[in-house]
Amino acid sequence: MNSFLTALFSGTAQGAIYALVSLGLVLVWRGAGVVNFAQMGQAMFTTYIASQMIQSDNSYWVAFVVALICGALLGAIVDFGIMRPLTSRKNSKHLTSQSMRTTIPVIASLGILGVLKSLAGIFWAGEERGFPTPVPANAIQIGSTNLAITGFDLFVVTIVFAALVLTSIFFTKTGMGLAMRASALNPEVTRLSGIKVSSVRTLGWAISGTASSLAGLLVTPKTNLSPNTLDLLLIVGFTAAVVGGLSSLAGSVLGGFILGYVIAFVNVYSAPENVFMAILIFLLLALFIRPQGILGSKEVRRV
Amino acid sequence: MFRKKTHKIIGLRSALLSIVLFLSFILLSNQFGAYNQSQLANIATLLIAVLSITLLTGASGQISLGQGAIMAVGGYSAALLVTRLGLSMWLSFVLAIFVSALFGLFLGLAAARLSGPYLAGTTLVMALAIPSIAVRFEGFFSGDVGLSVDYGVPPIWLTNIFGEISIEEWSLYVVLPFTAVVFFTTINLLNSRAGRTWRAVRDNEVAASLAGINLSRTKIIVFVCASGLAGLAGALYGFRGLVAPSVYPTDLSLTLLTAAVIGGLRSIGGAIFGTFAIVFLPDLIEKVSKNFTIPESVSNYLPSLAVGLLLLLTVIANPRGVAGALESLRNSIHSRHQK
Amino acid sequence: MLSVTNLVTEIASVKALNGVSFQAKAGLITTVIGANGAGKSTLLRTISGLERATSGSIKWFDEELTRKSVESIVRSGIAQVPEGHAVISQLSVAENIELGGLFRRRIARGDLAIATNEIYELFPILFERRKEQAGSLSGGERQMLAISRALVSRPKLLLLDEPSLGLAPLISAQIINIVNELCAATGLTVLLVEQNANTALAVADHGILLALGEVVADMPAREMAADSSLRAAYLGY
Repeated sequence: MNSFLTALFSGTAQGAIYALVSLGLVLVWRGAGVVNFAQMGQAMFTTYIASQMIQSDNSYWVAFVVALICGALLGAIVDFGIMRPLTSRKNSKHLTSQSMRTTIPVIASLGILGVLKSLAGIFWAGEERGFPTPVPANAIQIGSTNLAITGFDLFVVTIVFAALVLTSIFFTKTGMGLAMRASALNPEVTRLSGIKVSSVRTLGWAISGTASSLAGLLVTPKTNLSPNTLDLLLIVGFTAAVVGGLSSLAGSVLGGFILGYVIAFVNVYSAPENVFMAILIFLLLALFIRPQGILGSKEVRRV
Repeated sequence: MFRKKTHKIIGLRSALLSIVLFLSFILLSNQFGAYNQSQLANIATLLIAVLSITLLTGASGQISLGQGAIMAVGGYSAALLVTRLGLSMWLSFVLAIFVSALFGLFLGLAAARLSGPYLAGTTLVMALAIPSIAVRFEGFFSGDVGLSVDYGVPPIWLTNIFGEISIEEWSLYVVLPFTAVVFFTTINLLNSRAGRTWRAVRDNEVAASLAGINLSRTKIIVFVCASGLAGLAGALYGFRGLVAPSVYPTDLSLTLLTAAVIGGLRSIGGAIFGTFAIVFLPDLIEKVSKNFTIPESVSNYLPSLAVGLLLLLTVIANPRGVAGALESLRNSIHSRHQK
Repeated sequence: MLSVTNLVTEIASVKALNGVSFQAKAGLITTVIGANGAGKSTLLRTISGLERATSGSIKWFDEELTRKSVESIVRSGIAQVPEGHAVISQLSVAENIELGGLFRRRIARGDLAIATNEIYELFPILFERRKEQAGSLSGGERQMLAISRALVSRPKLLLLDEPSLGLAPLISAQIINIVNELCAATGLTVLLVEQNANTALAVADHGILLALGEVVADMPAREMAADSSLRAAYLGY
């Protein structure tokens, strides 16, 4: 029973983080049609910034906020500096094939990832560091029994939950949120409504950047921080997005939690080395049984 | 009759080009010292893997981030065949092609239904899952320590003809025949009916399937071919001395892709240029940075930074790569001539 | 007043518009008719900025529109309703209408509420179905919604691209009549592109006949409707 509870609780905490990563991926996919493989590279970079600030005697929360702001800025810079020129009218002449049009942004995001990793190496010597938690990471006690959940896990779940609620309110109740949804669904009609779709798109990248920064801050206390530690997170986030539905924000969150539980249970009941294979099998199953994801909608192919 | 003639011409031309390639490498190596000779051998080896990307992504438009992992498959297959079954190196290289092609079959089966970011992400997951198998079954694969293998010594009849042959030169002589054959095969594949089919799939899947092309079958075939090539490259790469997870790091796939993109995804000449660039870039950077005082922590990461920046620059400013830029230049000179 | 002078628009190396010149006077309904492929839609798309003009000028009063972006043209008070009931199916009716007024929110929040109410009075069925997804509306309702989205921003110039396309004659007549009344009541300038020459010429004040990207007739609507030789030559009946 204890291992079941352990798997359940750790799955929830991990799932929350995967949900954040997945949400960030889907935001950019829906808003810009690009799967941003550099996303966790951005998170790694901003987490290093936060780590540097903490080492220079700033408080955790100041570093936290700075990291989130940097995440937004970095996301906006990636769109403005790289993705926009990539898809501008001039360049479309070069990309005559359909597959290249989807492939080139993927390659660009991989390039960004490489650059970010190298910069992290240059600025911070690529050293592996721990990352602090604002809440003690001890197991919570009720009476004399140790629950399989730590204070930090609760912290993670609370913050992610708050972030998801905020995001949901933003998208459904604000004008900018409506503009973002409209831009993703039908850019032409949105432009005809007087809205600058390109600016809205950049905002989407910024929000995605913030979400991934948050994920980085929440996961590194457990995994430590180095240029490569967040790669696994990208894989899981991607699988979560596919499982939940690349075209659905709610689906991405759902997928994140599902994957959190899958990985937690594999870790507890099988072996940690099997995690990669489990993820791969899960991804392939999802792609073959329901390619549009649980909450996604089928893309209509117009011939 | 006409078709046979073009076939013969392509076959002849590519055979000549392959021989030219072979001889130029040998000529170059004679000008070089030992270190650069081994770099040349690296280029000849990695060129095979980059050509697999030219076929897979350049000709057929399928993006795979797992070519590095397939190289590992080839490397481990050959190493295991030699160390556990005592087969000859040459035979194990050939068999490694088939094992990798088999993996490519599985990749292709998965990829047949996917495209774009789905395909990229899935191959990325595969790229990380395959090495984890080596860790999972540590006993069989010798875990992180890996398997020690090498090219062996040059046969006596060769040293009798050419005199003393260094290790670096021998490695080049081992790899180059394979590179030349791959070169020959790639040129012919690209100019054949298969090549046209692949390009049709790349340019417009809907139109291609309307024209009667079986999309799934084509994609599977491409993956099988590209994986066979990557596996061969991986085997040759591993036999430089060690087959272990560290020899095939996760960013190897990206490095190969970068080489192909920088040089020009769709051109074999581009693949050659890109591979030379990727292999010699770290050395070039080291030479330049020696003139400045740069702390070691920075200089360690300069090559990867340069590679990443080059990739970005190419993708934004010059998507067709160096080969594409040269072609545009040639075209504009031509049209100016005609005026 | 909208002044188009020597407008040339090339699409894929073909001159879809080959030197089009005309004027659409303020407060009137000007209709552009012509056979399929005459360039009517291209004309509207060039005015609204969705297509780039190759050469020529489009002036809305004194403002030159040819180099402006789509969004800034809309913000200047020119709204286009593209062909095919352009609404966002996955959003609700109310959200679609809200979308049309978003860019004015900061400056005219109060007026937006008034404008929205006016639209619901104009199209009561939209009020009834305001919480439903736009994709579940009928063709005619979707067209009403598309026009509402354009109207909520209180444009000075309304570009209507084939509003009757795919609609039953009764419904399309209903819609066009509403536009007519609106024009009369508010002084809205309307540029109406229509396949159905009869309906268009019945409500319009002025008519422009396009053929193969060029203007072949430019006269008051009543005269164009009466000119049977024109109809026979360019519209085939």
